[in-house]
Amino acid sequence: MIHTINVLPHISLRCFSDDRFKQEGLSLTMVRPMCREEASLNALLPAVLLRGCASAPDLRAITQRLDDLYGAAVGSQLRRVGDYQTTGLSCSFMKERYALDSDKVFDPMMTFLQELLFAPKLENGVFCADFVEGEKRNLLSAIASERNDKRAYAHAQMIRRMCKGDSFGTPRLGYAEDVEAITPESLYTHYQKILRESPIHLFYVGAAKPEEIAARVRPMFEKLNRCPVTLPGQTAFCDCGGCDETEEMDVAQGKLCMGFVTPVTLRDEGFVATQIFNTIFGGGMISKLFMKIREQMSLCYDISSSYHGSKGIVTVSAGIDNNKDGIVKEEILRQLSACQAGDFTEEELRSAKQALLSQLRTTHDTPGAIEGYYATAALSGLSLTPEDYMRRVEQVTADDVATAAKKIRLHTVYFLRGAL
Amino acid sequence: MEKLFYPQVGETLYKTTLSCGLPVAVLPRPGFTKKLCYLVADCGAIHREFTMDGVSYNAPAGVAHYLEHKLFDMPGRDVTEEFAALGAVPNAFTGYDMTAYYFSCTEHFAENLALLLEFVTTPYFTDESVDKEQGIIGQEIDMNRDNPDSRLFELLMESMYRAHPICTPILGTRDTIAQITPQVLTDFHRAYYRPDNLFLCVVGDVDPELVCHIAQEKLKDLPHPQVVAKRDWTEPVSTEIKYATASMDVALPMFHLGFKCARLPDGEEGVKQEIIGDLAAEALFGESSRLYLKLYDEGLIDASFGGGYETIEGMSMLLASGDSENPEAVKNAILDEAAHIAATGIEESAFLRMKRSALGRRIRGLDSFESTCFRLCAYHFSKFDYFNIPDVYKKVTKEAVQDFIRDTVCNDRLCMAVITPKEEQKL
Repeated sequence: MIHTINVLPHISLRCFSDDRFKQEGLSLTMVRPMCREEASLNALLPAVLLRGCASAPDLRAITQRLDDLYGAAVGSQLRRVGDYQTTGLSCSFMKERYALDSDKVFDPMMTFLQELLFAPKLENGVFCADFVEGEKRNLLSAIASERNDKRAYAHAQMIRRMCKGDSFGTPRLGYAEDVEAITPESLYTHYQKILRESPIHLFYVGAAKPEEIAARVRPMFEKLNRCPVTLPGQTAFCDCGGCDETEEMDVAQGKLCMGFVTPVTLRDEGFVATQIFNTIFGGGMISKLFMKIREQMSLCYDISSSYHGSKGIVTVSAGIDNNKDGIVKEEILRQLSACQAGDFTEEELRSAKQALLSQLRTTHDTPGAIEGYYATAALSGLSLTPEDYMRRVEQVTADDVATAAKKIRLHTVYFLRGAL
Repeated sequence: MEKLFYPQVGETLYKTTLSCGLPVAVLPRPGFTKKLCYLVADCGAIHREFTMDGVSYNAPAGVAHYLEHKLFDMPGRDVTEEFAALGAVPNAFTGYDMTAYYFSCTEHFAENLALLLEFVTTPYFTDESVDKEQGIIGQEIDMNRDNPDSRLFELLMESMYRAHPICTPILGTRDTIAQITPQVLTDFHRAYYRPDNLFLCVVGDVDPELVCHIAQEKLKDLPHPQVVAKRDWTEPVSTEIKYATASMDVALPMFHLGFKCARLPDGEEGVKQEIIGDLAAEALFGESSRLYLKLYDEGLIDASFGGGYETIEGMSMLLASGDSENPEAVKNAILDEAAHIAATGIEESAFLRMKRSALGRRIRGLDSFESTCFRLCAYHFSKFDYFNIPDVYKKVTKEAVQDFIRDTVCNDRLCMAVITPKEEQKL
């Protein structure tokens, strides 16, 4: 059902043709290396583009254009996938058939997206200083506000310590000092560079035919002076040593984060078994971590693990009593040992598979999930369709899971302790 | 079952009330794999006072949420594991005026539905299990205390409201949940989890008749006690406290600015009021408004700023919230702009555009199983047929929105809550 068209060299359009939804969506992103030099620029760019274009020169004018298109939405599309990040815009809009008085939606939306991306409002040949300064302030407060969400904060702190030598340790929004150093000139130069050099990915979900979309978007790029640069391939986790640290903060609940590594990434054979291991270990409400540490021992409200397949990292995150970190940590490791020893029931294995299968089966049920699956797969190097993926899930045995678990090794521990 | 077609939104809905008293709605989604099923109770954190069979009850704060956790217990069985074996993910949430239990699945729909109905209508509480939950919910309360958004909302509610129980947090406190016993949970369950006080709503490619058949079988023998819940509170629209503040480990000051409004009537009239409130928020400080652009350009608000009209049984309010270095200046600008709109009115073309936008967003929202199912449930309890909402938009006039802004956005009704960064955390 997914159809890929190379619109121009290094500009690919993926279309998922589907008439079941009441809306359509198109995203356009430039693929960049995930690195400190670019992270803040790539995060800032869409925000500045969304402040105004030549034909809609301020926020109010943009919103009014979108309101006229029946409350269409345009947003920045920033995503990290392994060693890559994408920056660009996405839009979603109501299907024309629900419009009153045969109003048009699709064509004006395409025109507007093109204007926002390629005809920004300029002053002195670069981005407007007010827009850049205003969005820098917003980005700085977004970076500073990371600490408002203690769970996310603790997770980010752990990842930073764990991935000192890996692109995964670069914060998605970059660092405050990098944001402060950006000028309207430097951002505009970067914008032109990435329009020229980046592989560009477009993704469409909706009822129109792929050829129609390709014909509609191709002219957008014809004026660009393109000189595409091929990106290096995705790499596995680069290990520069782990640590075990505690930080104190004025919070009621402590946050324990543990980072584990495995040589298995989603480009490897053992990927699906590792995914199932993670589900049994801490992937849901019947996982070992949840059942044991929350339900049996009442030590926490939330606890879960995640497998970051593009890197081969497994993280565990738990909100716990400030003086229970020792016992919780010990229990997490005990549950890992159990998985490694193959100490899980047939029922646990079956349920973990069921959970993954349900999730894969519903991939095609929302425009967001469709875009998320295929756009991420294209970047991460995952070559499975949801259907192939499901077949692979069904084939995984208990031995495969134990084998995958045995490759998991504790790397870094971070504890955010409340000091009330 | 009654089959209803709504051409304006392109939806078909099946509805009925079973002989056991349970109202049911099924929204077919042919061609989709996912099935989402909500069983909701018309009770929440604010319904602690009730009489049942002539006896008065006043349950401790946090009871509805505590019950939501404990209902998953069944004698000698683990419900979550049973759902998992059927490939379903169950979950639940407790709001101020509604409690929902739900699952989504792709296979074994009938078995999952039967399990949902069974566990929600089977109260099983032991001293040991109720005691044990204190630790888990205690952690949830701590987690909530560290969350600036919930702290801010709770601070605003306790400052704004005197009589309405929204002034107490949904979770209760460590002290109030310590008073919860198996008997407290049993009484609350008996009072509110009667078939006629529940609503079953399914979105997905399922047979509507099968849904009814299973539900009738599972619920036919449930008790029907005589219950009168307290659902109305005498609450003035003027506020006594205008400002409340607390400090937390946050990056920027965060504010919630509320304007108190009266309770809404049931049915279309209430929904009309809700749309008027939402359009008023849009006209006053929405992204298409003059004020939003001005405040954004001045750096007084950022993308976190937003607001709308909030309704909970027995109350409603206009709310604006966001991060700002100067919440006071934002508040004053909103009051000034409201006075300006009251004096000069809203442009007709701007008003039509706002309505079209709101309607388009509602239609796009129907692609989401979760939001559609939730809205069908919420509007069911306020006695309104959600898919008729395009007609209500047509009836809303700009004069009504202007009047609403004039009457509501004034010093008499406002209260602002602010979380300030701790000294050492200031940027």
